[in-house]
Amino acid sequence: MLVKLLNTVIMLVVALSITGVINRTRAICAGRKGIRFFQHIYNVRLQLRKGSVYSTTTTALFRIAPTVYLGATLLAFLFIPVADLEPLLSFHGDIIFVAYLLALSRVAIILAAMDTGSSFEGMGAAREALYGALVEPALMMGMATLALFCGYSSFADIFATAQEMSVNITVVMLLVAYVFVVIMIIESGRVPVDDPKTHLELTMIHEVMCLDYSGVDMALIHIAGWLKNAIFAVIAANAVAVILSFNWWFAAPLAILATGVTVGLLESFRARNKLSRNITFILTIVAMSALVLLTGFLLIQNIEI
Amino acid sequence: MLFYTLLAAIVVIAAIFLTPLKQKVWVATGVVATLALAAISIAIKALVEGSVHLCSFSTQLFGEESFAVDKLSALFLIIISIASVAVVLYSRGYLEGYLKRYAEAHISMHYTALVMLVASMMFVVMSSGGFSFLFAWELMTIASFILIPFEAERQETRRAALNYLVMMHIGFIFLVIGFVLVANVTGSANFVAIVDYFKLAKPLPLFIIMFIGFGMKAGLFPMHIWLPEAHPAAPSHVSAIMSGVMIKTGVYGIMRLMQAIDHNIELLYSIGLIVLLAGIVTGLWGVILAAMQNDIKRLLAYSSIENIGVILIGLGIAAVGHAAGSNLIGMCGMCGALLHTVNHSLFKTMLFLSAGNIYSKLHTTAMNEMGGLAKYMPVTAILMLFATVAICALPPLNGFVSELLIYIGMFNGVSDGHEVLYSIAGIIALSLIGGIVVLAFTKLYGVVFLGSPRSHHVAESTEVDNLRIGAMAIPAVFILTIGLFPQYAIRPIAVVAEAITGADKSIAVDHFAPTLGALSATCWVLLAIILLLYALKHKLQSNRKIESGPTWGCGFTATNTRMQYTGESFSEGLESIGRPLMKDTIDGRAVDKSEIFPLAHKYRIRHNDKVDSLLGQLWVKLMHAINEYVMRLRTGRVNNYITFALVFFVLVLILTLVGIL
Repeated sequence: MLVKLLNTVIMLVVALSITGVINRTRAICAGRKGIRFFQHIYNVRLQLRKGSVYSTTTTALFRIAPTVYLGATLLAFLFIPVADLEPLLSFHGDIIFVAYLLALSRVAIILAAMDTGSSFEGMGAAREALYGALVEPALMMGMATLALFCGYSSFADIFATAQEMSVNITVVMLLVAYVFVVIMIIESGRVPVDDPKTHLELTMIHEVMCLDYSGVDMALIHIAGWLKNAIFAVIAANAVAVILSFNWWFAAPLAILATGVTVGLLESFRARNKLSRNITFILTIVAMSALVLLTGFLLIQNIEI
Repeated sequence: MLFYTLLAAIVVIAAIFLTPLKQKVWVATGVVATLALAAISIAIKALVEGSVHLCSFSTQLFGEESFAVDKLSALFLIIISIASVAVVLYSRGYLEGYLKRYAEAHISMHYTALVMLVASMMFVVMSSGGFSFLFAWELMTIASFILIPFEAERQETRRAALNYLVMMHIGFIFLVIGFVLVANVTGSANFVAIVDYFKLAKPLPLFIIMFIGFGMKAGLFPMHIWLPEAHPAAPSHVSAIMSGVMIKTGVYGIMRLMQAIDHNIELLYSIGLIVLLAGIVTGLWGVILAAMQNDIKRLLAYSSIENIGVILIGLGIAAVGHAAGSNLIGMCGMCGALLHTVNHSLFKTMLFLSAGNIYSKLHTTAMNEMGGLAKYMPVTAILMLFATVAICALPPLNGFVSELLIYIGMFNGVSDGHEVLYSIAGIIALSLIGGIVVLAFTKLYGVVFLGSPRSHHVAESTEVDNLRIGAMAIPAVFILTIGLFPQYAIRPIAVVAEAITGADKSIAVDHFAPTLGALSATCWVLLAIILLLYALKHKLQSNRKIESGPTWGCGFTATNTRMQYTGESFSEGLESIGRPLMKDTIDGRAVDKSEIFPLAHKYRIRHNDKVDSLLGQLWVKLMHAINEYVMRLRTGRVNNYITFALVFFVLVLILTLVGIL
């Protein structure tokens, strides 16, 4: 039980820190002093104390959606182990359950966006639905690669079995980690898929869907975003941890730093894709995850390539 | 037996025709409910005891045949019963508006056909094969053919009905050929004889012939083109029963075939591949076109095609896994496929009935004329949301359970090293299907029920009567039960899967029960978390100022409802991927970029299936060409016709003399 709690606490730390690392990296790259490391938490605390404005177009669905969004993400979050620690919840087949919980959260926020009747939010919803649909195979194949090497289909089992891994497999695992980091970027709508730091109206996917949310609802959506980031970051770090050092004190900092710094650097030095390029970008990742899975399969079969 | 069946049929038809206009529905309901109760009691008995024999008789064509209920039939009887009762109850409210418009005989005919459809579907799944099967199958086609053109004054309705009739008969011919082949080799033509046939003769050709025959009914690619035509044309409750249940009889046939092959591992393997491939193509094709549609019922029809694809992916994985020696994968795939068959019959019935509610109030199924319906039809909106979540395979409802089982089978395939490549193909296809289904149904729900009204018809609509809501609640109860208590729902499914694959059901029970138990518990946790968060939010907001205002227009204050995202714009991004599958027909002209002050434009785009234009229109052209040639013989003169007859007799005489005949 203590291990499970430790795992949850570490996950929370990861979730809360990634945004801080991203902001700090961006600040350093731009030569700014930057905001406080935990400024995003203060922002959310402020939002939690505010009132809200609801559009008259909306229905009850609009008010329930943020809780479903956070609830589903939170539940998915509780399934993720940090390296060999035991997660709070686990069952055989939970890798699929987690993927579909994330889909549930996506449906909630898409429908909420459609509920406002705003063309901006409809635009964001349409794109979120499309990108979510296209990224789904990459997610599943990433998980299938992990299942291929570790022989189980629950997160806890996959990462609890340290195995003798050859050097070849190191490459595959690094690529799996890369795939998951990119999935995180796509799911959270960051550069190069989308830029959350522009004016909200210009942010075409993720942020634009929450235009009509304010106060507590906005805070819930932000928290869900952190948890979602942590889910993908930790899976990516775990994939690396499986081959290098099989300990939580290795995987947890890796999850924070690797993803935080990567995203920070990307946001500092890369421009956003033209929107029409995004589909290509996502399909590239899907193709890559398929390639990784097949390479892994061939390696398992001991076929010389 | 035959005598009593005919007598019962005549009594029922007479009762429907003789009762007053408004009471006809109750006669039909009574008959269907009786059938359903009888079917369910027999089905439960069959599930417990193994099989129930009803009657035997001998036919001149194919020898001894019987009506009996085994475990597979039992499952399908239950599916048919639940959906039929919901549909017949629903039909009262739906047809109320038509009672004055049509002649009494028209309504009687409709109810007669509806009862006939239910009965014939039950006969199909109870028949042992051969003549009685083909008879029931044909009766089912004819009954549904009568049901589709209810609004016969619309031209597209008549076209769709004829299209349906022709396609079903092409499928029927394949089935006849299949059964005749079996009868030729084994002497009888029931499903048991197919087992012998597979041992005695070359099995693959027969399988493919029968697969095409059944696939025509199920809507397999490329034989699916009748579905998106017939469903929008038919009244909604008929679409519901056709899409929810009738196309499943095709799946039933394919399952029977797989049951017959069970002993031949090599054959099972190649058949598994065929089924898996058919499932992947059907699923992807269906879902992409579903997401592109702008008509509610066309979207739902394509989604049915996609779900048949998912079922076949499960069946294919089951066969491949079984052939590779893994009973676990076999069991996972088969249980997933069976459960998905049940699930789809439930939520698709609900979805089509919701579409019926909308159609009866708005008199259109064009999505882009709706919007904001949730405010005017709140109960329909909640029920539809429920079905939407279920069909998107999201936890905590039933769609997720069946897809989870299929996924577990494929992930087991990957991690145990059984048929890794096929499992990977299945995973990719299923996850892509899962993603695009979300797009399709958020589009459907978002454009129809959310936002603000795009036409004044929406604002004039009201909620439908309670009986219709009640009828839609029947499948909803089952959806919720399967979703929240999957560990109990899997037991009867595992019993049926055991009967088909021959693998021990204890594998399934041992393996799934803990997973599904945990899933059930987690789903309750999910609901609890959401409730808790909502309470928390409520508490945080309790002493804050909650205001309401217009939707934020990003500084633009003159927004109107026409500026909302439409169905077409929602799926615009997918168009670049779906383009090769479609052929568009465009009506009117879109606003050009150079028009600074555009005037009113009329623009209507319809994404047609490319297969439709390739297959359908090609056939029509060919038939036209042949007809034109043949029609020259129809001179209208009696002396010519006598000459033709003479020529025919002479020809027969010569051929007999030569020895060809």
